[in-house]
Amino acid sequence: METSREDVGIAIRSAFLRKGTQQRFSLFVLVVFSVILIYLETIETKPLNGIRSFVKDVIYRGAAVSSYPSKIFSTSYSFFENHINLYGNYNELIKENEELKDNISKSDFLELENSQLRKLIEEQIESPSNFVSARIMLDKQSPYLNSFVINVGSNKGIKNGMAALDGKNFIGRIVDVNFFSSRVLLVSDLNSKIPILSEPSANHAILSGHGTSEPTLEYLPENHNIQDGDKIYTSGKEGIFIPGIPIGEAKIVKNKIKVLLFSDLRQITFVNIDLGALD
Amino acid sequence: MALHIKKLQFKFFEILPLLLLFFISLNGSSIINVKFFSVNIHYILIYYWVLRQPQSLGYGFIFLSGIISDIVLGFPLGVNALSLLFVAGVAAYIRVVTVRMTLLNDWISFIPALLFANFIYFTSLYISDYSVDYLYLLKNSIFTFIFYPVLWGLFSLILSLTKS
Repeated sequence: METSREDVGIAIRSAFLRKGTQQRFSLFVLVVFSVILIYLETIETKPLNGIRSFVKDVIYRGAAVSSYPSKIFSTSYSFFENHINLYGNYNELIKENEELKDNISKSDFLELENSQLRKLIEEQIESPSNFVSARIMLDKQSPYLNSFVINVGSNKGIKNGMAALDGKNFIGRIVDVNFFSSRVLLVSDLNSKIPILSEPSANHAILSGHGTSEPTLEYLPENHNIQDGDKIYTSGKEGIFIPGIPIGEAKIVKNKIKVLLFSDLRQITFVNIDLGALD
Repeated sequence: MALHIKKLQFKFFEILPLLLLFFISLNGSSIINVKFFSVNIHYILIYYWVLRQPQSLGYGFIFLSGIISDIVLGFPLGVNALSLLFVAGVAAYIRVVTVRMTLLNDWISFIPALLFANFIYFTSLYISDYSVDYLYLLKNSIFTFIFYPVLWGLFSLILSLTKS
């Protein structure tokens, strides 16, 4: 028994401490180095952040270059798929066009009514926001983290926590800023929690991601009156995002309130970053 | 000329695991995810080559590829590197204690490697305040284990090409 325990010890020592043939480092040294790196990630100092930013920028560029072949392949595949589905799409578009024509007259009336009401309450219609456009550089949808990397960073005034929009729709927030790149954490991610306001039911809640394309509403009051089709907007309660950015539409499935996002997160190429109110 | 081509071919197959390792990291495709099916090919690649031909994949390269994966996927630096090093560690241990290597031996000993790696992965993400989908992690581990013989066959073919 004693001997077998010794054998295990010797084998572990041999595996972790001994450098193998053509190995420059032992496993133990690298494990210690990794633990130190994880610890350093929790420390925020200017020189460390500078080094991190530089390393990340370099690797993002390398990753963007190395993912060109797979990008070309997926683009050609979707191009081919679009051609195959052309006839079906054409019929759908005809139907959609007819519905839209019907809706135009309704929306004209609503627009007129809206502008008259705004005049009445003397509301300032101009948007107080200031946007920067960015292109998605890397879109590696990890099953553990739904995020992508954009090609602007602190060089364009991007800061952690800023809202990322697809057109006018909210899709996520900035979680990591480098010199020339930043990471956007999407609303669908498990770590994403966004304060929202539902309309017309006027309930406050938290929009929580679950790693799927349909985030859900949490922390709703017990007597809430949210219904299918209610619109979901940012509430601005956290004090970072401007209130009233559209996010999606409520859909009740088995007592859970899911949110169907206005933007398809897999089809985004450009995003707008809200730099906040202009002084 | 023929000898030269043969040499080049040999060199290519020899560095193929390394090329694959960095391609997977840079491309952020360590996990193949198709509907319910989800396999971590990074773990299988490292486990197989450290077990069978450790000189093809240096520990330093494994560490570096983990760091690249962390950056590309947006995790805190060192999380993937640490779990990949543990996979390499278990493989190195199995290599020391095993005399005869067969698919079945490799396959069964891959279970502790997966358990260790996922435990390290989960713990370091938990410490860094990242939420993890436990069910997904379990599903991924099971499919990675099931898929092991397929990549084992492919890598054995590459290994035989380097030896021939």
